[in-house]
Amino acid sequence: MMSSATPPLVVENLSCRYLTRDEYALRDVSFQVDQGQIILISGTSGCGKTTLLRCINGLVPRSYRAEVSGTILINGKDYSEKPLSTISQAVGTVLQDPERQIIGAKVLTEVAFGLENLGLPRDEIIERVDETLDYLGILHLKDRETFSLSGGEKQKLALAGVLAMRPDILALDEPLANLDPASAQEALKLIRWLADEGKTILIIEHRVEDVLAVKPDLSIHMEDKSISFVGSTDELIQTVDYELVKLPAPIVIERVKAGASPVPQITPIPEAKPESPALIEFEDVSFRYGDGPMVIKDVNLAIREGDIIAVLGPNGAGKTTLVKHAIGLLKPTSGSVRLDGTDSREMTAAQMARVVGYVFQNPRHMLFASTVREELAFGPKNIGQTPEEIEENTEQALDVVHLIEEADRPPLALSFGQQKRISIAAILSMRSSILVMDEPTAGQDYANYMSFMDSVAGIRADDSRAYGFSAIVFITHDIDLAVCYANRVLLIGDGRLVADGRPAEVLADFNQLLNHRVIPSSLLKANLEYLPQTGRFLRADVLAHALSD
Amino acid sequence: MLVNWAYTDRGTLYHRLDPRARIIFMCCALIAVGFVPGRGAGMWDLRLVAGFLVIAFLQIIISRITWKQMQRFWIVITVIAVMLSVITLLTGRGSVGVYSAADEHIIWSPTINLLGMSLHPQMSAERLTYLVTQIMRMMTFAALAVTIPFTFDPYMYGITFRKLGFGDKIAYAMDMAFRFIPTLGRDMQTIMDAQRARGFELESREGMNLFQRIRNFAPLLIPLTIGSVVSGEEISDAMDLRGFGIGPRTWLPQLKYNLVDWVYLIFGILLLAGAIVAKRAGFGGLWVPPWLY
Repeated sequence: MMSSATPPLVVENLSCRYLTRDEYALRDVSFQVDQGQIILISGTSGCGKTTLLRCINGLVPRSYRAEVSGTILINGKDYSEKPLSTISQAVGTVLQDPERQIIGAKVLTEVAFGLENLGLPRDEIIERVDETLDYLGILHLKDRETFSLSGGEKQKLALAGVLAMRPDILALDEPLANLDPASAQEALKLIRWLADEGKTILIIEHRVEDVLAVKPDLSIHMEDKSISFVGSTDELIQTVDYELVKLPAPIVIERVKAGASPVPQITPIPEAKPESPALIEFEDVSFRYGDGPMVIKDVNLAIREGDIIAVLGPNGAGKTTLVKHAIGLLKPTSGSVRLDGTDSREMTAAQMARVVGYVFQNPRHMLFASTVREELAFGPKNIGQTPEEIEENTEQALDVVHLIEEADRPPLALSFGQQKRISIAAILSMRSSILVMDEPTAGQDYANYMSFMDSVAGIRADDSRAYGFSAIVFITHDIDLAVCYANRVLLIGDGRLVADGRPAEVLADFNQLLNHRVIPSSLLKANLEYLPQTGRFLRADVLAHALSD
Repeated sequence: MLVNWAYTDRGTLYHRLDPRARIIFMCCALIAVGFVPGRGAGMWDLRLVAGFLVIAFLQIIISRITWKQMQRFWIVITVIAVMLSVITLLTGRGSVGVYSAADEHIIWSPTINLLGMSLHPQMSAERLTYLVTQIMRMMTFAALAVTIPFTFDPYMYGITFRKLGFGDKIAYAMDMAFRFIPTLGRDMQTIMDAQRARGFELESREGMNLFQRIRNFAPLLIPLTIGSVVSGEEISDAMDLRGFGIGPRTWLPQLKYNLVDWVYLIFGILLLAGAIVAKRAGFGGLWVPPWLY
């Protein structure tokens, strides 16, 4: 860590209220950052961390109109009266979703975009572009079209576009959200290296465990629009509520053992039963888009009653393409998919939706109604539920995703995290017997997604809202979700089904996981270590209690 | 995130042409066929329109764009062109200024009894020729336009418009507008899938009135529209965050006219000039084949 006379970033008594809202989005925030430091800013959804970032990078109040008080000094200068384009040369921002940040049609034009805007000479731009791409190890992508890149490549490209402008401060908003575990680890190594090179880096992330690998120099935890903790990361993980923020399993186990927290009333996930009747069957399924290469290759698979299946695999492995066959949105190029014995080619997706509910990755693609309640009633109406059933199912789904208070608000006016929960509730309200979810936890904070996963899986002993799905399938990059909820794991690699079995079997093969860019987590390691004692995979707090007994 | 048109550099003569020359040529040909002032704007002489149609299709053949790439486009365009032209024929409108109703030569005049009514539609040689010419004109417009997106390297979008004389901001906006069309197509498909997964079927049900039928599209059109607006705002923020609009920008791609570009460009300008002269001299109006009388 280096230090300099003038700190690169000083925030003093910063408060902010969006002009469209009555309440404050940020209250009295103060902190200081030294050169070459990595600062972790954590907190649950809506705590104010994104607003803080927007104030620092200048989007507030320039793009998001707001009343701002307090001071932000960047390299000792007050930029409050400067245009956004000037601030952008000092603070580079990488947004959570690279899809929302990449502008250029090709990798070369994307990285050059900021430099072209600065009016640099052409030769210098070419030199800086090559240098930055090389620096990030993606020089080979230089002539590729941006939309054809994988999730991990897009994330690196978004970073390259910002780094090429050589800002002193890098602000990263949930940089790991769309990455497979291996890509996330690579991104973290890169972040550490950038800090060692002298860049000051702010990382907003609620997956605290994942960021620990970069050894943040300072941690800031936010709650209810203001800072509740500033200090070292070691102190943070000992004090922050482990039910709200995801912490390493050994820390949770240690804290549970040391404290006197009540035993969570969670019933174990029932074992998968290979002898149960098959609900959906994939037989020799291969698929290609148009004339392109095969993206699904010879998949044989039966989704059976009682299965809770986690689908793991790297970005671009074909996970989404595979599960889209389960609802008939895609039909196999060869082979067959059968739902209750009927070939999916003989059914429309709308017909299959009566049996299989599918939650899309991006909620924006489905929300249209004027209230959340109407949005949730849309699917049930389409499949012919009675008005009484619609009302009952809508209310239950609202309760499960904690959106009862927002029921009469327009879905499109809510935050991304809330929209994601609406998209899940909109499928829950259809009461399909099979539930398929694509990255259900993306954009959600830990407490929220664990709560609705509990309800969906029906494992809370005191939960009257539990759903009795015949089978659940979810695609995830979060291996801990598989550890906590799945009774069966599918590992997909390059369009093929590489492994299919009990979590304790598939997730114990670290070599195979690493070959498919899945990194074993601390929770998985702890579970495997104590498996002879527990006999099953458990979440960290439950595991701690089980070990204490 | 914006997606690009399906571009493959096939290395043909057409691909090697400077994109500015291709756009200028297209504009010249479009104006010549469709908009040169005179009696009935543009060309209505079947023989001249056929000439432009041949040139437009020659471009497609030279550029080796595959039928599969254009299939959907041609189906939509053919349906629209034929439908519009037939409606024009049946309603008798659309030919104002192209030919005079008093000069029509009736070639077919049946009596049709429909629901107790006796109808006397008339088909004249002029109306029939107008129908065919109108379809050919539309096909010419489509053939001239379709070559551009499939042969235009996405790397060159912005610089082409900049070098055509537009300012930095407009040129970049044109670059993004160009990519907005395939992006909209991709988003529409995803939205359609998301709603089908909720049991939604687009087909009209019995007893639906017009308002209900339009309402039936809401689950598709609202996410598409809102998504486009939100994406627009996000793109604008992302551009601001990287200093767009500070001052004159450097453009990394470069363009340079070669001899073949000048030849092609001059050919386009000559076609337009020829069309203007022909129109002024009284040519280019509706030409009815004599054997139709």
